[in-house]
Amino acid sequence: MSQLVSSITREWRFMLRQKYILVLLLCTLIVTSFSIFSGIKEVSQQHQTIERLKQADLKDRSEAQAKYDDVGSLAYYSFHLSYSAPSNLAFAALGERDVYPWKHRIRMLALEGQIYESDAQNAELAQAGKIDFVFIISALSPLIIILLFHDLFANERNSGRHDLLVSTSISSFSLWGARSIVRFLALYFCLMLPFYIGATISSVSVTMVVAISAIVLVYMLLWTLLSIWWAQKQNTAPRIASSLIGIWVLFAFIIPILGDLAINHSVHSPKGGDIVLTQREAVNDGWDLPKETTLKAFVETHPQYKDNLQFKNTWAWNWYYAFQQVGDQTAAELSQAYRDASQRKYELAGWPRQMPSPLLSMNNKSATFTKRFGCFITPSCLETSSLKNRL
Amino acid sequence: MSVASSGTSPLSMSVILSVTKDEWRYWMRSKLALSVLVIGVLLTLGSVIVTSIQMIELNHQRQSLQNNAEDTFVDQPDRHPHRMVHYGHYAFRLPSPLSMLDPGVDAYTGNSIFLEGHRQNSAMFAEQRQGTALTKLGSLSPSFIVQMLAPLLLVLIGYSTVSRERESQTLSFILGQGTSVGSLLMGKALALFFIVSLIMAPLIVSSVFALYQGESIAIVISFLLGYMLYLIVWALVILAISSVFSKNSESFTSLIFLWVLLCIALPRIASTTAATIAPTPGKLETDFAVIAELRKLGDGHNANDPAFDKLKASLLKQYNVDSIDQLPINFRGAVARNSEAELTQVLNQFAEKSMTKELEQTLLARHFGWLSPMVAIRSLSMINAGTSIETHHRFLRETEALRFDFVQALNTVHVEQLDYQIDINRSNDEASSKKARVSAENWQVLKDFKFEIDSPSTRLSRSTSSYLQLLIWIVFLSLIIKTIGRRLQ
Repeated sequence: MSQLVSSITREWRFMLRQKYILVLLLCTLIVTSFSIFSGIKEVSQQHQTIERLKQADLKDRSEAQAKYDDVGSLAYYSFHLSYSAPSNLAFAALGERDVYPWKHRIRMLALEGQIYESDAQNAELAQAGKIDFVFIISALSPLIIILLFHDLFANERNSGRHDLLVSTSISSFSLWGARSIVRFLALYFCLMLPFYIGATISSVSVTMVVAISAIVLVYMLLWTLLSIWWAQKQNTAPRIASSLIGIWVLFAFIIPILGDLAINHSVHSPKGGDIVLTQREAVNDGWDLPKETTLKAFVETHPQYKDNLQFKNTWAWNWYYAFQQVGDQTAAELSQAYRDASQRKYELAGWPRQMPSPLLSMNNKSATFTKRFGCFITPSCLETSSLKNRL
Repeated sequence: MSVASSGTSPLSMSVILSVTKDEWRYWMRSKLALSVLVIGVLLTLGSVIVTSIQMIELNHQRQSLQNNAEDTFVDQPDRHPHRMVHYGHYAFRLPSPLSMLDPGVDAYTGNSIFLEGHRQNSAMFAEQRQGTALTKLGSLSPSFIVQMLAPLLLVLIGYSTVSRERESQTLSFILGQGTSVGSLLMGKALALFFIVSLIMAPLIVSSVFALYQGESIAIVISFLLGYMLYLIVWALVILAISSVFSKNSESFTSLIFLWVLLCIALPRIASTTAATIAPTPGKLETDFAVIAELRKLGDGHNANDPAFDKLKASLLKQYNVDSIDQLPINFRGAVARNSEAELTQVLNQFAEKSMTKELEQTLLARHFGWLSPMVAIRSLSMINAGTSIETHHRFLRETEALRFDFVQALNTVHVEQLDYQIDINRSNDEASSKKARVSAENWQVLKDFKFEIDSPSTRLSRSTSSYLQLLIWIVFLSLIIKTIGRRLQ
């Protein structure tokens, strides 16, 4: 035991003398801290935005309700806010919130024409991608591990000390093992310390922190063992690192890109434009169709309203809402197929993401965007139907 | 050649070329360098082909959707003109010729927009949202391959270009033979430059194709020159680092570290910083501000809204009559036209404000080009290709102009061709409703829409600062190499 401690302290002191390792670790610490800091800032901005939206929505709605007193106009001028608040862990995994909208506001008619509109962030920034903790762990940490471990043996071999070191040390573990442990722990510390601070600030549950620590540990161990194993087999450090980086490029770019091509090729999806075109034509036809046809189609899906559909004039709110609803029903199948295809692609893409690849996606709870379109439609639809009951 | 006194001997072309040739001979013998080179050229070529096919398909698809939308609009039967205002129209963004080399934000912004009365909709159906989310780290676009992977390939090939000579102690031998440090470094640089040219070859070929598709020659040259400068920056980085370190492994580790920092970390740090420092209010928040402003204007569907009293008074005065019924024009149409104009003014004011904010945010991120050449080439490439955020803003502005034009043209039809009495009685019964219609010939007011990107000169002037960033990198690195060269002697 004391031997292990002494080898570890020796290797610790040895590491402190190696400038490039210190620079590497310091950069890692800085970049990780930056990602945690900006993640927390982003999440708090999103919370604030949601608060502001809730207040503005309330104000707007009460103004609309004060202005109109007939149910039809009330429904027409009232909007419904829907949002998906970031979870506690979102600071570490911003997920796809820069690509998918996480807030939406719609009117209770012609839903299909509204739900695909987006309130997304700056497209040019989204294209560059964001740096969050998940990105650092999944994409950057393997590269840092490669840089730290590829020359474990080669360096000593190169400087002619390898054989001497091997013959004088008590066991190969006390030499290479202690050195690896020291480097590994130093890196783990640089990556996880900022996360722990962020997790404390964001009051993430202890179980979650432990689970994430374990996942990160396993993921890093995989790359470390791969690097060490490969380092033993080859001679020169650059050759070892080149092939390791080749593996990284394979997992980070080649497999995902090919997977993307294959999935996009195999999953057929209706074009988004067709949904809104179908819906527009159906709604538009609604104006000219005999009212009985529209009402019949509406009552088929909403039998509970069959007694509320009498009117005298050529224009009436209940008929107006009915044909808007029928328009949505016409496009519903296409729309569903579009969302299903989207979901299917995402699920199919799951397997390359679950490999020890740089696209590692933590676990479901930290993946801040789960159900994509689904979560926006449901709450609004609920509100819509509750309003329809008043008609 | 002059007597061997390294450093003082002039740069000799034949010596430089022989250094270059030696370097190439070394690479051809080394399995690693050769396979990396082959992989690099194949990757670039593959991505050029795949992306070109995709973008050509997209072009056809959107063009036909656009024609379709126009045909559908003008084929509508006789109707009340305001029905057509709400029937609306679609506009599609056609990809630019160079987008087959750099698709830029195309997949991240919606590419179709629904245009209707009283509203400015946002673009719908961003491709990225219908994707697998697998391409978050990188896509198969040639721009990505050259910006991100080509530097890595260059590093893998060239990391030992000078450090090798130092490690095996052949450097003093070479210098002793009469080769000056300057010629040696120039020769090595030239060797790296040939690799750069090899990587550029597929880009050049497909740029010619873009030229054939109507892209201006100045833009194509500027686009290629940008990439050339970018790869030269990396060749110089490699030369500098390789000369600083006396060990191959040190040179290698430092170069890989720089690559991770400049190509992977900094571009993302740039966008995160911009988003954090200069957050933009989303569309929803802007919408609330717009609504508050619009509430003051009155509802254009309701001609009795007191907000239109002033319009009423001025029209009565203009036509010298006492009541709305006596007006020779349709007052409801006049209200619709008037309120659309006022509303559009407010909408545009807010839209311009949020576009300015978004642009400021983007420019902030682009400043990171001083720190990372990858950020510089990324902006330069997108701006030149016409796939940057500015092009999307242009699309939004042009579609808004199209929207306002056809809506107001329809409102004018409403004012001039539909009798007021017939109009207000349209909801009495089926017959009156049928009477309150105008001829379908009026739908010809819709103008053909073909989205065209900014003029070459605009794009060129936008990319000046990115050019400056790359040039400063080159000057800075050349100075460093010169200093190191002096130390090498």
